[in-house]
Amino acid sequence: MPDYGQLAAEQLPHTVPVVAPPYPPPPWPLPGARLLKVTYETEKDVAIRWLPPSLGRPIPPYAHVIVGHYPESPIGPFSLAVQTLGCRSRFLVRAYSLQAVTDSPTALIALREVWGFPCLLGKVAVEEKGGDVEARVEVAGRTVCVAALRQGAPIDVEVVRFDPYLNLRLVPSIQDGQPPPHVSLAQIDPYYEFKHALRGRAEVRFPRPSEGAPWHLVPFLSPVIAVWTEADTELPFARFVMPY
Amino acid sequence: MKFGIFFELSVPKPWSERSEHQVYFNALEQAELADELGFDQVWAVEHHFLEEYSHCSAPEVFLTAVAMRTKRIRIGHGVMLVLPPFNHPVRCAERAAALDILSNGRLEFGTGRSATWTELGGFNCDPDLTKEMWDESLRAIPKMWTQEIFSWQGKHFSVPPRCVIPKPLQKPHPPLWVAVTSPETAIQAAERGIGCLGVSVGTPKEYEERVKAYRRVIRECEPVGEFVNEQVNGVTFLYVDENEEEARLWGSKLVYTFSLLAAHFTGVSSIYPTPAYKVPGLLFALRREQEQRSSPTAAASSDGGIIREGMAIGTPETVIKQIKLWEEIGVDRMVFLLNAGEVIPQEKVLRSLRLFAEHVMPKFDAEAARARDSRARAAR
Repeated sequence: MPDYGQLAAEQLPHTVPVVAPPYPPPPWPLPGARLLKVTYETEKDVAIRWLPPSLGRPIPPYAHVIVGHYPESPIGPFSLAVQTLGCRSRFLVRAYSLQAVTDSPTALIALREVWGFPCLLGKVAVEEKGGDVEARVEVAGRTVCVAALRQGAPIDVEVVRFDPYLNLRLVPSIQDGQPPPHVSLAQIDPYYEFKHALRGRAEVRFPRPSEGAPWHLVPFLSPVIAVWTEADTELPFARFVMPY
Repeated sequence: MKFGIFFELSVPKPWSERSEHQVYFNALEQAELADELGFDQVWAVEHHFLEEYSHCSAPEVFLTAVAMRTKRIRIGHGVMLVLPPFNHPVRCAERAAALDILSNGRLEFGTGRSATWTELGGFNCDPDLTKEMWDESLRAIPKMWTQEIFSWQGKHFSVPPRCVIPKPLQKPHPPLWVAVTSPETAIQAAERGIGCLGVSVGTPKEYEERVKAYRRVIRECEPVGEFVNEQVNGVTFLYVDENEEEARLWGSKLVYTFSLLAAHFTGVSSIYPTPAYKVPGLLFALRREQEQRSSPTAAASSDGGIIREGMAIGTPETVIKQIKLWEEIGVDRMVFLLNAGEVIPQEKVLRSLRLFAEHVMPKFDAEAARARDSRARAAR
């Protein structure tokens, strides 16, 4: 028998080879998406700590939990939950992605490789009941975040907006402890055509904090607002790449 | 055409124990000089929690200090937030009347409702209700000033029969205004017979339709006060220097700093979906217009495209040309932002004001010219 190598997967250096991807190239049409966006105020020090140097924290600092269920996509149905920090790229309102969880292995690869979402594989469940919508985000059996809209009431879709995402575009170092040789920010501007929307009280909890998926590190100080909407959306190529 | 100055009182970081003191007293010195030079109005905003951008949360106090140090310039709330969660309407009326008395009848009463989540959230004020709160307060306050005994049963506040005192010195009451950042609010100003106080830094072209609509609608208005105040104030930045390059250098720093500070607080429409803030307002306009701008370094070396049509930045000749654009679209008064984040040294701000008064104002404002001649005669 040949001598096989013994490097365990846990010891692998990070690389992102995009050859023969198991997904089609963008743009991805995502019709009939159901989206929950829960916005809350968080701590100033947290915002400053987790934002890249090229981004400014807003006054007051705030975060979003954005949970989308996409029943149709080029890779089949999937869900994606993202926690973002509200920020300013010079004069512009943006959402910097901190955590993400998806329930589809293929989506995981595409969302990381193409769009830079910092995805983990997990479970994302959304339950709609009366005027309430509740999303649960689970990683390795731990519910790391519950985000909800309570007492929703219809709202004109003209006033609904989702800010462009800023995701890390990172080539990790293959040497332990060394900084990445390349890091920048990719701006992702999904297209949305909203069908209808509900607006209601925002609620966010982090029931079982996890070091591997530390959603709780952006604490909930006070609610802003929650929106639940159905939309035809599309994930395009990154619109801009900007300095980290 | 009349001219005024407009204070946000922005205090840049890093802060020292004296930072705010310095900004306040620089502004008072500017207001005193503006009064001497023949400017017609000085306005101060009311903002809360907008760190660095505006530390002017008690404008009635600041404006009283201005009134005590000046003789003829009119004193403007630009604006007072007349929503009960911020200021009970009775307190608005009382404070404004006291300021009118202390200024010897020089008050201009601008009203508004705030456009930021930073402020509305801070006062636990429901964004959906701000327009109707503003409207209710606006209709009640002139009655508080003119009725001996006032009472009110409204949706957002109520007052049993009471004598609201003091009464303003100006009779029947000071001129009423509203902060306008959208065409919709310009129409609402006209419908109510109150002045259109531009607070968004736009170009004359962007203002033109707004002014036309205001002039058209106000002819049929039902005034909320005792008289119609048909006036349109435009607002822009001011920096005058004999050297065009120098003026654009400092002017672009001013515009860039103001826009950058403004971008970091949270406009209602950017975070809270509500039909009450459909039009994104001042902040959105600033962000949109800065989207393609260059870096501060580039902005300082040329102007990086940051200086737009209508901004009073340049030599006196340039500034005259720019102000004529405003005059052509029917603006009655221009109000100027002089500094932001103290990015322009105080002596340069004062010099810019003097140059404006000496070379630009006489082309538009005969009254200011007369005041200056009279001062010159007195000096001789």
